[in-house]
Amino acid sequence: MDVSQYLGIFLDETNEHLQTLSDQLMILENEPENEDTINEIFRAAHSLKGMAGTMGYKRMQTLTHDMENVFSEVRNGKIKVDGHMVDILFQALDALEEYRENISENQDEGTNDNEPIINALQAILNGESASGSDAGPAPEAAGAAESEPAATEEKKDAAPAAGDKWLDIVLHEPEQHVISEAIKNNSKVYGFTVYIQETCILKAARAFLVFKALEELGEVIISEPSVQDIEDEKFDFDFSLYFVTDSPIDKVKEAILAVSEIDHVNGDVIDMDHAKIAKEDDEDEPAPAPAEAQTEAPVASSAPAASSAPPATKDTKGADNKKTGANKPAVNRTVRVDIEKLDVLMNLVSELIIAKNSLVSFSTSDSSHSGFNEQIEYLESVTTNLHESVMKVRMVPIESVVNKFPRMIRDLSKKLNKQMELHMTGEETELDRTVVDEIGDPLMHLLRNSADHGLESLEVRRERGKSDVGQIYLDAYQDGNNVVIEVRDDGNGIDTEAVKKKAIERGTITPEQGETMSEKEIIDLLFLPSFSTAKVVSDVSGRGVGLDVVRSKIGALGGDVSVKTKLGEGSTWTIRLPLTLAIIQALMVVVGNEKYAISLGSIQTIEDVAEEDIKYVEAREVINLRDTVIPIIRLHEVLGVESVKEPNANMVVIIVKKGDQLAGLVVDELIGQQEIVIKSLGKYINCSSRLISGATILGDGEVALIVDANVLI
Amino acid sequence: MDALNIAREYETVQYIVIKIGEEQYGIDISFIDNIVRMQSITRVPHVQPYFAGVINIRGEVVPVMSIRLKMGLDVDEYTNKTRIIIVKTESNAPIGLIVDEVKEVVTLDERSIDEVIHDSKVDETYINGIGKNGDTLISLLDLNAVISDKDNS
Repeated sequence: MDVSQYLGIFLDETNEHLQTLSDQLMILENEPENEDTINEIFRAAHSLKGMAGTMGYKRMQTLTHDMENVFSEVRNGKIKVDGHMVDILFQALDALEEYRENISENQDEGTNDNEPIINALQAILNGESASGSDAGPAPEAAGAAESEPAATEEKKDAAPAAGDKWLDIVLHEPEQHVISEAIKNNSKVYGFTVYIQETCILKAARAFLVFKALEELGEVIISEPSVQDIEDEKFDFDFSLYFVTDSPIDKVKEAILAVSEIDHVNGDVIDMDHAKIAKEDDEDEPAPAPAEAQTEAPVASSAPAASSAPPATKDTKGADNKKTGANKPAVNRTVRVDIEKLDVLMNLVSELIIAKNSLVSFSTSDSSHSGFNEQIEYLESVTTNLHESVMKVRMVPIESVVNKFPRMIRDLSKKLNKQMELHMTGEETELDRTVVDEIGDPLMHLLRNSADHGLESLEVRRERGKSDVGQIYLDAYQDGNNVVIEVRDDGNGIDTEAVKKKAIERGTITPEQGETMSEKEIIDLLFLPSFSTAKVVSDVSGRGVGLDVVRSKIGALGGDVSVKTKLGEGSTWTIRLPLTLAIIQALMVVVGNEKYAISLGSIQTIEDVAEEDIKYVEAREVINLRDTVIPIIRLHEVLGVESVKEPNANMVVIIVKKGDQLAGLVVDELIGQQEIVIKSLGKYINCSSRLISGATILGDGEVALIVDANVLI
Repeated sequence: MDALNIAREYETVQYIVIKIGEEQYGIDISFIDNIVRMQSITRVPHVQPYFAGVINIRGEVVPVMSIRLKMGLDVDEYTNKTRIIIVKTESNAPIGLIVDEVKEVVTLDERSIDEVIHDSKVDETYINGIGKNGDTLISLLDLNAVISDKDNS
């Protein structure tokens, strides 16, 4: 089956499932008994396995299968979740992520079997979580393949020894591992070949019953042909299997023979020596040795999917895990779209068609020109809306970027040996897809920075009377016409003296310069390329490539980074991204004959104020609103237009807020609330007062300016 | 054969001829994105005086400047012939120029373009050549000079 057309969906969904797994694992680590979480994980692992299987990614499937097994045992209450297990599971997640990346690069999952992880998972399954067969950081170890299907298929044609076909089953490392574990645990391992009566019609069903009977007694490690093939009736009248159990062999044989239409069963106890002999026997056959089979198998299994890029597949063969020459991702980037947004698009398109049709009818009949113009205007407004909606489709919540951070902080916590917690808010803040894609790295740098440089060691924290657990906050929110992302920690803050000393040491500044530098200027030094104050270069940070990258990246997006810090109390890094392309809720108002938009975010209330309620304080107009004195700003004066309002009528006052300051903006008329797409005015226009932060295009195609109320206060 | 040689030797450039007041100006056609009729311009407060405001060109907000005001001439009088020329220079951001009239497209080769002798006259800072098209003279606008903001101070 050619599955390449599903690749995009597969990758998307894999991403989602991996994210779910990661999130839930984080929860699980803290609440090992949380059943909902375990179920959720199980479901995600299960879907992942199914998807990988369908797509023919055997390695991924095997790995998820083992993970699923572990979760299933956890769910049944047979294994308890502990730190070691979560570690292994996270490693498995990383391995899956690696597969996913390989697949998105060249449609091939790569040749990394991640055997240590699989073994570790098996060990957990066998109740050895504490013995700690750590999967280690280098899972590339070239081991035997567990890709049974490929290996066993080749095996099928081999002439089996009469009666004891089970001796020919090729055992790979995972199975060997399970067997040796089982033997260690005083379980018995048997090999069986079951013969079904040749008159049997539903042999697959019989075989299934045999498996079912066996599963009540123990565990089938491997079967020949594979379970899948047996289910598909792809076998003659016999099948062989290895079986781990505590029951005596006679009892097992009895259980097998209890299934009707079973002719007879051969079997014996085996140990690892037998198994190995079986493997060596295998070598004189055309089937390649396991090590070779490993490289062969992926090529075969991924051939249909990779048919569009045959050279790439060839490269992968043998080149362990390396990216292939073609660096182009095999799949285009996608945006998941809220169905409602699509509905809006659909509606607009139908309106467009209606508008076009009426234009066509106008061109055929000789109607008055005024109607024609009306239609043109209608068309114009529809197309403008259409454009706006398509822009909206590009907006994605930053969630997709930030939700990988809890995991990162967890890992950092272990690596740096510091306790820390990440608190996130505002994940739903929307930004343009291109911006969202780019802010991941800078944010990661800042978080690492906080974790490594910011948070103090445990001793220092205790000394300072702070809680043991370092707190890192990631807050995203919209502030007027900006999206602000703050990374905050309650750590040490920036030691400006140390920075200064370092800068002088490095020759970045002279001691004299250092004397006269303000705190802000010193902090700015941190953003210079190759400036790091970390005393020890760790692999977390300290190579001095962090902050300058952050600044240049954010700068490229048209934003800026600033930092507020207090020595001993922590620092706050603030990324401010302009809302170009972004969409905000705004209040549309009329001043003079012009329309303006004011971001709803900064508006507190709207008041109806009588002219005589205006008082004067220091020659400035104020109103006393519910015991708060609020200065009044007449927007038409600021904007330089004639007010069209009658002088004695009540005034519409919009109360806006900046921080804890309030101000009242007097406008002529309210139009209403509207979602607007913010456009930049371009770099040519130099709005000296910064009063106008952008413009938006209204439904009728007209341009309205956006007033930044923050500037007025 | 001769004709070919000439064509090779002398590069030709196409200009759109516009009218501002009584004078004819040429704008290199390769910079021109679009020419639109006069439409309602949204005034932007507190900006350089020669900016008339912004308009909507296919969903983009494009600033519009008055060449007249930039050159120190009288305020534009919008007529039926007034056009906004949307130009894109190297910086790639579009900007609109209000002109009194768009006349024609001419092709000039190097031989018919004269250098400008710079003197202290303000106008001539915006011109980087004079083209001769038959009897008429066309002042070739130096778009970068027109658009740049150097006299804002």
